[in-house]
Amino acid sequence: MIGTIPLSDVLLASGALFSIGIAGALLRRNAIQIFLSIELMMNAANLALLGYGAALGTHQGQIIVFFVIAIAAAEASVGLAIFVALFRHTETIDVNKINLLKW
Amino acid sequence: MSAGRLAFDAFALVAVVFAGLMVAGKDPIKSVLALVVSFFALAATYVMVLSPFIAGLQVIVYAGAILVLFLFVIMLLNVGREKPDGSRRPIQTVLGSLSVVVFATLLLGMLRGSGARLPPQAEAVGPEQLPDPAAIARLLFSDYLLHFEAVSVLLLAALVGAFVLARREEAP
Repeated sequence: MIGTIPLSDVLLASGALFSIGIAGALLRRNAIQIFLSIELMMNAANLALLGYGAALGTHQGQIIVFFVIAIAAAEASVGLAIFVALFRHTETIDVNKINLLKW
Repeated sequence: MSAGRLAFDAFALVAVVFAGLMVAGKDPIKSVLALVVSFFALAATYVMVLSPFIAGLQVIVYAGAILVLFLFVIMLLNVGREKPDGSRRPIQTVLGSLSVVVFATLLLGMLRGSGARLPPQAEAVGPEQLPDPAAIARLLFSDYLLHFEAVSVLLLAALVGAFVLARREEAP
């Protein structure tokens, strides 16, 4: 077939994507972009799960990722509904200006 | 270096580059579009790690449904570019960048060390283990049937929750 892929390559790609995601979640102010970064981190974790699953020759990794994707869909719909409700109240989704819960 | 490894690295590089564009971009619409490209490249890497079924789900659910939902909401709310209006303090950038560097170093170090604890035959995604989506379906509807049904209840709860949250308040 296509030859082997070392597991270290898969883990390196996964770690790089997760680090980019956490940079976005910490450094952006737009709530939508923070949410996109969180989705990216979930995908990075999925890649690591699939890599380990394939290397160990089991289907468990794919099963876990299946459930992660289903839950991500639920999470995205509720999260975006929260943004819509928030925007209706405050007219902004800049997280520096949303400080209702700040002491 | 095998052809499979070369192709995996190329797609992973595309995914990482477009993820970087997503984080660096100021315009939310461009961010979402960059993430669509990144997720398509990720779907290709999923095929390389012998998971074609998950790759299909990734394209349909993530790149198709979830990111289109993001585009809808961005256009509905008319979210513009981030404006430099002084609401951001420099200490946020400094501490945020510092945390990212520390976190990335720790994470990559940890992933590098994790190979030592695996059985030796598990160091690479081998060529002759054939992907078999039917086996996943069999597992999903036998051992994981309860989890599968629980997810359907969760999706219903999310549906109701999203409806209640985004509904316009009626005047009493």
